[in-house]
Amino acid sequence: MYRYDEFDHAFVAGRVAQFRDQVERRLSGEISEDAFRPLRLMNGVYLQLHAYMLRIAIPYGTLNAKQMRMLAHIARKYDRGYGHFTTRQNIQFNWPKLEDTPAIMEELATVEMHAIQTSGNCIRNVTADHFAGAAADEAADPRPYAEILRQWSSVHPEFSFLPRKFKIAVTGAERDRAAIQVHDIGLHLRKNDKGELGFDVYVGGGQGRTPMVGKKIRDFLPEEDLLSYVTAIMRVYNLYGRRDNKYKARIKILVHETGVEKLSAEIEEEFRHLRDSELKLPEEDVARIRAFFAAPALPERPEGWANLAAWKKADPDFARWVDQNVKPHKHPDYGMVTISLKPIGGIPGDASHQQMDLIADLAEEYAFDELRISHEQNVILPHVALADLEAIYRALKPANLATANSDLITDIIACPGLDYCALANARSIPVAQEISKRFGSAERQAEIGELKIKISGCINACGHHHVGHIGLLGVEKKGAELYQITLGGSADNETSIGEIIGRGFEPEKVTDAVETVVNTYLGLRLSPQETFLEAYRRVGPQPFKDALYGATAEAA
Amino acid sequence: MTRIWNESGFQNDDPWVIETEETKAGSNQKPIVSLQSFIERAEAGETGLGVLIQPADDVRRVAPYLDRIALVALSFPAFNDGRAFSHASLLRERVGYAGEVRAVGDVLIDQIPLMLRVGITSFAVTNPVALKRLEEKRLPGIDVHYQPTARPAKKAEGYSWRRVS
Repeated sequence: MYRYDEFDHAFVAGRVAQFRDQVERRLSGEISEDAFRPLRLMNGVYLQLHAYMLRIAIPYGTLNAKQMRMLAHIARKYDRGYGHFTTRQNIQFNWPKLEDTPAIMEELATVEMHAIQTSGNCIRNVTADHFAGAAADEAADPRPYAEILRQWSSVHPEFSFLPRKFKIAVTGAERDRAAIQVHDIGLHLRKNDKGELGFDVYVGGGQGRTPMVGKKIRDFLPEEDLLSYVTAIMRVYNLYGRRDNKYKARIKILVHETGVEKLSAEIEEEFRHLRDSELKLPEEDVARIRAFFAAPALPERPEGWANLAAWKKADPDFARWVDQNVKPHKHPDYGMVTISLKPIGGIPGDASHQQMDLIADLAEEYAFDELRISHEQNVILPHVALADLEAIYRALKPANLATANSDLITDIIACPGLDYCALANARSIPVAQEISKRFGSAERQAEIGELKIKISGCINACGHHHVGHIGLLGVEKKGAELYQITLGGSADNETSIGEIIGRGFEPEKVTDAVETVVNTYLGLRLSPQETFLEAYRRVGPQPFKDALYGATAEAA
Repeated sequence: MTRIWNESGFQNDDPWVIETEETKAGSNQKPIVSLQSFIERAEAGETGLGVLIQPADDVRRVAPYLDRIALVALSFPAFNDGRAFSHASLLRERVGYAGEVRAVGDVLIDQIPLMLRVGITSFAVTNPVALKRLEEKRLPGIDVHYQPTARPAKKAEGYSWRRVS
């Protein structure tokens, strides 16, 4: 992973000093909360329903054991003993005291972490495939480019007061696990016939009130032009993005209202001027950054094959965990392990300080000191020998970290909702917990197969409900919470926005409604191999509408 | 009250006045006029002009008249309207204007270091916290940077995009 040198340390120290000064101005009353708000937001400090919330950046979801232990330490010392991993591969603490936040930043800086640009109308944490560097289907590791973008965008003076927040995602794999088509900029790293690297560039994807799938505006942008081209996009957006209405201020609206041809012509024109500027990436710099992300030397561990077969035979629970939570690694003796933060009936994405410490220990002992946070709010050990899976499982199980539900119906994404968030209209966490309990049996989950439920407590869609195979959106109607169901969303290569299926359901009825949808799917699928999403795409919404509202209800 | 500041300190005898319907430059003052009015006056052969660029203006339109400009004022109607940061960058890097560029409007202390980096050189400051801090010479900037910008800065050790000021 990337390591700071003196320059990076000086930068973060400078930013911490700046932030400390801003907090002191607020605490002394020199500036008002209104004046302080944009300053704290640029450093990840929100004011929520009950307390300040601090969001710490985990660039492209990559961290090591020492950093994970620091997060555990912060949870213990400054919060209530736990943290919440987010859909942007970051972590949030829900109960810090404002006066402690500069000290938290100082502690983070000792392990090369920060909270820069985790909020505010600026370029946010750049996200990437959580299996980067380990997946078999990868053309190249996307993280060097995410790191270059992270550095370049940090306190960028021209792009710190954009019309709205700005999110960039990068993938280097055939199968898109980074949801690049629902980002402001999505970059798909590819190799051409000559073996050179370049990016397909998507722009204008996003969720929120107006979900849109990104449009491809560039085939194979040469690697060396990455910063010039992104600067061109940012400049066009900064100048022309709408500022009259915050709900229409994201670049997706600019793309939609201007038209993709016209906007991409403007971007290309800007790029023509920038292409041969100081922003051109020298190959030696890219190579130096890339070297930080070189895969660890993975010794041959062929004994794992026989051991694994024997262990699986002896313990069906272990077998289920391996089948569900371990994915093939590019090295055949290894696997990529998903540590589920979705225990049955638990809060999606939450981890206690003890769990974080345990995960750090396991990463050090068995996984080459590498950890990832997935946008699906789980933790990944990207390089684990098959021969070590049993020991890891034995350690995870008593800590309630061995739930075998990766990609299954209880692997739910949920925003914090009305339990924490000042914007929410409805609770998300209790709904996720109830659905998780209802479908908690391992056999039932296995029967249902891959099914992604995503829950947002308001129209801002932090829980990604638009791209859930089943999406739930909490709304407020006449003072009561109500959940709207969308079906058929997906954030993979075939990105689609889910369709609203009909009127919403009360909190006590929404789990039944989800169950009706699931049972309808089970009844109409052609075979157990046909996933929910495939079946939905084949039959459309009608059978689900009929099941939920009755065959005649639609007309009524 | 508004005071003019640049990196050598507060400037007392600043002659520039942003002209509006009500306010006109006096005999010992110089007017800053709208982009449209500037272009008309420049076309008519006037020199030594001040031009005000509003957020929605295309700053590149001043390009044919660089020798007529004595000052470009960039408007920040609110701290969160960042369009003038791009105007400044274009003015310096694309249009090639080398004279005084002034930030006017909602100019706050935490933004001034960023404004300096995109090539803004003087500041019309009204905000009391900003005035106090500038008097105390406490500019809250970071002196290492991850990107080249319009204001010339030394390259730093390491990657091509690093700069120090």
